[in-house]
Amino acid sequence: MIVVAGTGLVGRYAVDQLRRRGHEVRSVSHNTVNEVDPVLTEVVLLAHAGDHVRTARRFLEAGCHVVSVSDDTKDVLALLDLHGDALAAGRTLIVGAACSPGLSGLLVSYLGAKFESFDEVHIAVHGTGGPECARQHHEVLSGTALGWHEDDWLRRPAGSGRELCWFPEPIGSRDCYRGDLADPLLVKHAFPHLGRISARTSATRRDRLTARLPMLTPPRVGGDMGALRVEVRGVRAGERAVEVAGTAHPMAQIAGSTAASAAHELRRQAHFGTPIAPGVLALGDAVLPNNDILDDIMQTGIRIQVFQGVH
Amino acid sequence: MKFIRRALLALGVAGAIAAALRVKGKGGVPPQQGGWRDIASPK
Repeated sequence: MIVVAGTGLVGRYAVDQLRRRGHEVRSVSHNTVNEVDPVLTEVVLLAHAGDHVRTARRFLEAGCHVVSVSDDTKDVLALLDLHGDALAAGRTLIVGAACSPGLSGLLVSYLGAKFESFDEVHIAVHGTGGPECARQHHEVLSGTALGWHEDDWLRRPAGSGRELCWFPEPIGSRDCYRGDLADPLLVKHAFPHLGRISARTSATRRDRLTARLPMLTPPRVGGDMGALRVEVRGVRAGERAVEVAGTAHPMAQIAGSTAASAAHELRRQAHFGTPIAPGVLALGDAVLPNNDILDDIMQTGIRIQVFQGVH
Repeated sequence: MKFIRRALLALGVAGAIAAALRVKGKGGVPPQQGGWRDIASPK
């Protein structure tokens, strides 16, 4: 059985996708997840607001595989620290299985295969899933943004580093800024050889000016359109080259599909006696069947596109 | 009283300058040619 903890937009979408694949799924809220019997559970998908680390540790120790959609930097760092717990339990914890992080790592893996070697990844994301995701987006513009630059973590104020990024239609061009995003941490975790990693999020001038204040307008209950753009730079045929991929769909659909596909793959591999290596993993990690997961996401209707032309 | 007024004025001017710096910026360069194309299954 797969347990999905979280009844927001992303959780509900993931439940729907998993049931369509024929899994027995139990949907529980953040408050009732501790009442779940781990003995009957193979995979737990954490898609609720707030920190995931305590719940993830509990289920790992009880012998369950865990998928977390958390994109909060502190929570992601705490989840990465559960590597020892996961190894001891012989179970897998996939961290950040949403859009960015999540699908971004899969696209890095997909684009990276087009190079002889690649050393730079630049990610931009637009939009929010449900209301909790919108609150998170509001906060990421007021912290410290992490980036990886030549063997060191680069710390810059969130909201700085304006860059105009082109996303697939209907989103098009958006101003994007550095943010307190977890993507650099997880991309570095999955691709330790990279020399430069940056992540940006789209924002309006009002978003940036009010980032340090409480949210002035309530977030949309139904979420909104999201988009992801992943740019990989490397060497091909002896020359520097750039590859860009992206997608544009409702953000909850992107995140829910990615989370459901990660959980589906964990259960499928365990079912066929070829379990994924234990430990803490990020999507894109070489030990994961990244192309299978990406293909599974595309089967749910998510269009992945590449930019062909002159940048 | 005079000191407080001056401090508030300094804070106000600093805030205005910070706000101006935060919203200013120049646009980027759009892609020169090409577009987005769907990919086939990666499997």
